[in-house]
Amino acid sequence: MPDTAVLTAPDREAPAPPPPRGRRNRGPRRTPPLVLAFVLVPLLAEALWVFWPALQGFYLALTSWDGVSAPTFVGLDNFREMAHDDVFLDATGHTVLWLLLFGGLSAVLGLAAALVLQQERRGVGFYRAALFLPVVFSLVATALVWQAIYQPDGVLNQLLESVGLGNLRHAWLADQDTALYAVMVPALWRQIGYVMVLYVAGLKGIDPALYEAAKVDGAGAWQRLRHVTLPQLRSVNAVVLSVIVIDSLRSFDVVWSLTRGGPYHSSELLSTYMYSTAFQSLRLGYGSALAVVIFVLAFGVICSYLVRAFREAD
Amino acid sequence: MTNHQTSRRRFLAGAGAAGTAALLSGCVTSTSSGKSSSEGSVTLQSNLSAPQAKAAMQDVVAAYAKKGSGKASLNTVAAETFRTQLPTYLTSANPPDVYTWYPGSVADAYAKKDLLLDLGEVWSSPDLKGYSKALNSLCTSAAGKKVFVPTTYYWWGMFYRKSNFAKWGVSEPKSWDDFLDLCDKLKSKGIDPIGLGAGGNTAWVASAWFDYLDIRINGADYHRELLAGKHRFDDPEVRKVFDRWQELLPYFDPNGTAVAFQDATTSLLSGRSGMMLIGTFFADAAPKDALDDIDFFRFPVIDPKVPLAEEAPTDGYFASARTGRHDQVVDLMRYLATAEAQEIYIKGSSGTVLPCNPDAKDAGTALVKKGRAHIEQAAEITQFFNRDSSDALQPTADNALTKFIAKPKQIGSILTDWQRDAAKIWNA
Repeated sequence: MPDTAVLTAPDREAPAPPPPRGRRNRGPRRTPPLVLAFVLVPLLAEALWVFWPALQGFYLALTSWDGVSAPTFVGLDNFREMAHDDVFLDATGHTVLWLLLFGGLSAVLGLAAALVLQQERRGVGFYRAALFLPVVFSLVATALVWQAIYQPDGVLNQLLESVGLGNLRHAWLADQDTALYAVMVPALWRQIGYVMVLYVAGLKGIDPALYEAAKVDGAGAWQRLRHVTLPQLRSVNAVVLSVIVIDSLRSFDVVWSLTRGGPYHSSELLSTYMYSTAFQSLRLGYGSALAVVIFVLAFGVICSYLVRAFREAD
Repeated sequence: MTNHQTSRRRFLAGAGAAGTAALLSGCVTSTSSGKSSSEGSVTLQSNLSAPQAKAAMQDVVAAYAKKGSGKASLNTVAAETFRTQLPTYLTSANPPDVYTWYPGSVADAYAKKDLLLDLGEVWSSPDLKGYSKALNSLCTSAAGKKVFVPTTYYWWGMFYRKSNFAKWGVSEPKSWDDFLDLCDKLKSKGIDPIGLGAGGNTAWVASAWFDYLDIRINGADYHRELLAGKHRFDDPEVRKVFDRWQELLPYFDPNGTAVAFQDATTSLLSGRSGMMLIGTFFADAAPKDALDDIDFFRFPVIDPKVPLAEEAPTDGYFASARTGRHDQVVDLMRYLATAEAQEIYIKGSSGTVLPCNPDAKDAGTALVKKGRAHIEQAAEITQFFNRDSSDALQPTADNALTKFIAKPKQIGSILTDWQRDAAKIWNA
């Protein structure tokens, strides 16, 4: 008996789990209900308040709905209408322009501000705070201030007059040629400080030894920027780009407060067109279809960027 | 250690339970299909956010509470927010009870969807029995139910400052030609003859020009039919309106589409612009001492054969069909229709509106007397672009009219686009 016991015991133990499995076996096999609750309750909340309305949005995009009566199913009619809707096509063009201009300028100017203000000199904190200040203000309040600046008798026109450029006076927000760009300025004004802070943090993380080495090798300021600073900022760039893309596509408040997409749709973005179609013209089906387009666009841009970022990381 | 774990676990369990409870209560609130509570005061959602109008509403609510039969809690919301939120209020499970809004086609659109309370009981009260026939039909839905209680109305006209006209040596014009002469004279003095105020968030002010030119050229019946979708915006009749408007464009304030009507009012009061086609509501934001100096004249007649029509929008209240405080709502509405309530409102506001109750006294000023006569002489009364059509149609007009003011030569394509945009709303 003892022999067999000795023989059989190792046999039973042979398939015994290796240390990692053994460790897992010692711990609780089932997830404790409390932990499960902590996962499921937020999931339920998210499902109820985010996923479900989003799915409903997709369904509403296939309907014609005035927000009061029951929606009627119209299939892909809303999307077909979009193909022939000049305002939609204009708004898409403006959104792409916004993405490029607003996104590009805020990254470039944010980086420039960070480079200038990264070194600890006397008073630099003040300048950093001043540049960051617009981020703290609500965009609607910011827009009100800029509305006053752009008024026909506003600060900007008075300034132009006083420096002898009176012929450049403009109703900046009421002219279809200037409205989109005039609206972009306050948006940039706010964004640059935010991007600057991200870059300053990135610049602080660069090992000074790299600059020393570059200097020893005879690299000039431009070469140091190109071959040391920019490559070292790659990880920050990823964050900045994601922030910029997301902020560009959701830009709404500043445009709505200043021009409402006007005059006659000249500063219309997809987001403002969606809002006015849904909540002013009360065509919630078409508005939902526009929201789907914005979602697809945002998802597409962010996904393609993330895929590239991951590929580079590998 | 064990103790620590236990207490942490307890804490977590407690937090989890609290979270779940909060979530469940959230679910209950969000899905409650019941009507609003039948207790507490009647909620009165008001879009009258100009300082004087808001203060006047507070006076009315305070006076109602003093009467002792019930209480109302006033909730003032910015006009633009109110307008976009109204469908949400009315369709929500727990809506506010009573709302400031407009009768006619605007109220009827909600009545057709069974969202408005039948106010037949209110209309049987002695105060409303004396209301004019026109007001009766304006407040009756297409299905024949009374859905609205009107309290005040006001008029639109060409407003100016008496002292400025005297200073410039000009007087009120009697005919279209007189009007053009007046514009010429003002322009030669370096004044913008016509202020507009269709910039900022008040592009709708430009619709007044469209309304008036259309009712003067094509008549009120055609105008109402056009706004109801029975005619097209690219019809030759509508084109005539813009041909006439083009004659006037050189006299408009060049910043007309860049500043809101409040700023245009400031220009008018300070004498930078000569006159403005506006409703009396602009006075709610004007300094009280300027009120005595304000006067107006009738929008000039263009074709004497067309019956004289004026824009005189009526304001008042409707109630949600889903209110749980039916009796209290009826009591409040009856009070709002009394001469007393309307006089309190007029006293507290700029006093430029007229009461609907025939027994109520208006502010009695020369301006108001002239305004009353102005409306009484009209053969037809229109409300305003969005009130005679729908709020959904208003953005199409804002777009077309501001574009016309900036690019009058493109009127052909502007009208084609307007018709296309309007058709989408009518067919929705």
